[in-house]
Amino acid sequence: MGQQLLEPDVSFIKVLNERGGDTLKKCFQCATCSVACPISPDNKPFPRKEMIAASWGLKDRLVNNVDIWLCHQCGDCSVMCPRGARPGDVLGAVRNVAIEENSPIPALAKAVNDPKKLPVLLLIPAVLFLIMGWVVAPMIWAVIGPILGAIFRFDYTQTTFLNFSPELFHGQIAHSAFFNTWLVDMIFIPTAIFAVVCFALGVKKFATNMHNAAVAEGKVKETEFSWKGIAQALPKVAASILRHEKFNECSENKSRGTSHMMVLFGFIGLFIVTTCFMLILYGSALVAGYDHAWHGPYSQLNPIKWLANFAGIALLIGSLAMIKNRLGKSENHLKSSYPDWSLLGLVLGLAVTGLGAEVTRLAGAEFVTYLTYYVHLIFVWCLFAYVPFSKLAHLVYRTVALCYAEYAGRDAK
Amino acid sequence: MTTDTAARASGSILVVGGGISGLTTTLEAAEVGYEVFLVEKNPYLGGRVSQLNQYFPKLCPPTCGLEINFRRIKDNPGIKTFTLAEVVKVSGGPGDYDVEIKLNPRYVNENCTCCGECEKACQIEVDNDFNFGMDKTKGAFLPHEMAMPARYVISPKIIGTEDAKRCLEACKYDAVDLEMEPRTINLKVGAIVWATGWEPYDATKIDNLGFGQYDNIITNMMLERLAAPNGPTKGQIVRPSDNTAPESVAFVQCAGSRDENHLPYCSYICCMASLKHACYIREQYPDAKIYIFYIDLRAPGDRYEKFYKKVKEDENVFFIKGKVAEVSADASGDITVTAENAVTGEKVSQTVNMAVLATGMQPSAALNKLPADLKYTDDGFVINDYAAGGMFACGCAAQPADVVSSNQNATGMALKAIQTLVKR
Repeated sequence: MGQQLLEPDVSFIKVLNERGGDTLKKCFQCATCSVACPISPDNKPFPRKEMIAASWGLKDRLVNNVDIWLCHQCGDCSVMCPRGARPGDVLGAVRNVAIEENSPIPALAKAVNDPKKLPVLLLIPAVLFLIMGWVVAPMIWAVIGPILGAIFRFDYTQTTFLNFSPELFHGQIAHSAFFNTWLVDMIFIPTAIFAVVCFALGVKKFATNMHNAAVAEGKVKETEFSWKGIAQALPKVAASILRHEKFNECSENKSRGTSHMMVLFGFIGLFIVTTCFMLILYGSALVAGYDHAWHGPYSQLNPIKWLANFAGIALLIGSLAMIKNRLGKSENHLKSSYPDWSLLGLVLGLAVTGLGAEVTRLAGAEFVTYLTYYVHLIFVWCLFAYVPFSKLAHLVYRTVALCYAEYAGRDAK
Repeated sequence: MTTDTAARASGSILVVGGGISGLTTTLEAAEVGYEVFLVEKNPYLGGRVSQLNQYFPKLCPPTCGLEINFRRIKDNPGIKTFTLAEVVKVSGGPGDYDVEIKLNPRYVNENCTCCGECEKACQIEVDNDFNFGMDKTKGAFLPHEMAMPARYVISPKIIGTEDAKRCLEACKYDAVDLEMEPRTINLKVGAIVWATGWEPYDATKIDNLGFGQYDNIITNMMLERLAAPNGPTKGQIVRPSDNTAPESVAFVQCAGSRDENHLPYCSYICCMASLKHACYIREQYPDAKIYIFYIDLRAPGDRYEKFYKKVKEDENVFFIKGKVAEVSADASGDITVTAENAVTGEKVSQTVNMAVLATGMQPSAALNKLPADLKYTDDGFVINDYAAGGMFACGCAAQPADVVSSNQNATGMALKAIQTLVKR
């Protein structure tokens, strides 16, 4: 190996301390963790080497490390650790920094992980919606309104984007009468594109760096980088993720698999619901004209609505179970820091306001339901806009890392 | 000989524990003229040291050192020893302690000549604690060959049986006394030295290391007995499952030590003990391979370091930096230990005929609090309060230590005890 000049990044160690890795320095490199881990490979196992790299402040070695994403933070290593150094929690903190480092806008990632910035981050969508509804959307509408009006055969000049004293829609409360569907799309479609672009940039940087690091450390069989190869691993990896196979290999916190599954399936269900209703709305508008399209609110008898309710409840119960788990006082409970709580808060907030808006709508509480819906949209926007920067980005980074590990032959046991 | 227990209160010292530390304190204080009472809970003196095969680093048998100490005790009229004795209660203060001591029955009196007829007559066998239960002794037994006092013991387990009567009848010297009862005596002493020593940490508590689950995983102290000529195998190191000679042995260092889940501290002796054990095995089996899995090897001081370097030169001894965290056994009884080699970054699974857990030392006081007003660390080591004075802990009652340091410490505590008496 020869001589190496190590350049410790002290600020990196400080950040790890703040994000749940404050036990890091207790590690004395006994390597119990690498054996305790049920999913660590035999070749260059983790997390012992990650612990020393972290304690030496070797950020570059960690943020591009495929192994930090193989870890599912089950806590088996933390329970066995003779020093209480909690390697599982340290790797969680490292992943957090890795998301920040790989994101194309590090400043935004820092803000997402900073509790002091939370009011500002929430205020952004709250104000953005007003500006969009009152100022920007009408300006855009002047351009695209006539086109959409022609395609969907409706009087585009009658569109009000934000209506704070909406009338009932066919005798019932409709959230779209308050916050127009066109406005929702004008805000959320660009936001979603923003998230996708951020992820694309982040993953591009991450994947190549991860590959170079893995080859340099001799951890993988495949030395050629191939996007195609990584993509081909996706079906197998996705199946494993959906089945929560890795969670089930843990012993200490196996129950986490269930709550994670509820939240993940909840999100997947809600994604399907949103996509279906969007297709139904615009599909029927194309055929019958926008004014006669199948608008929401949809009947509770509609099977898609069943899925929506079911997914919403799964999200609610799953997030509550996760919160309960993290509040636990048992020896093996996960340590939680702000990035964990802010994400859980967001998920719970989404579930509560989503279901709340529906329930209050059915109850006929006009003011409350519009307010709840507005807050719900704020949370949804936060989910979209901040996902490439928050802990939730593990959705993409972990999937890419797992696909890479599968492709490149980083054998997990 | 001063046997009157009421005599010279201000001039007497009580030493609790007859291991190497207690013996040293006793002798150092007695040989400058102080009256010393030595209380030992076992039926013999010598403690853990008497269970050892050899000392490190000189690899000489501890018997010779113990023999000299026993000779000095016998020759000194100022020493009164009580075996099978426990301190029940301590009252009073520095310079004037009143100590209640319970003497458990031995059922054999001083007429015993160690002829062994009672042992032959006895049929019941009991677990041999001296050999950590690896063999049995008769219900009437000599704790070990050079037990001091050299006198048989009849196990309370056979009292009231036909066997007890057989022992009584077999004895030609009227040495067996089945009517003995526990009795209590009171001593007045000016100072107390607690030399209550240590227990091997209970390896069954380390649930990932398989002790108690697999026959061929033993502890370092068990290996000591296997290697000792007066041990259960007469010094042949064989693996327990089939009594075959091991061709490969793994040593698991820090088994329960430096571990917050067990003993959070370094037990100090286990590294040197395993290096010594490697020598035992290599001497008996010239082709045997030894694998020592460690976190850090601690060979403090020049002499120990030299010993470590010598063992390291042996091509059949392999040192792997990485703590064993997982063990398994196959049908043949072989043991596979798994660790990450932190130097190469590879996970190692080494299959061996036998594995030895280098378990650490736990102060006896951690398991049974001493019947006196003493302060302890969280781990049960006695904290010496020199300001209060009067009572002092030495040897492994105060910190994990090897024999040399225990002796030095015990000598120092003899002086502290004497100072308590003289200050009055």
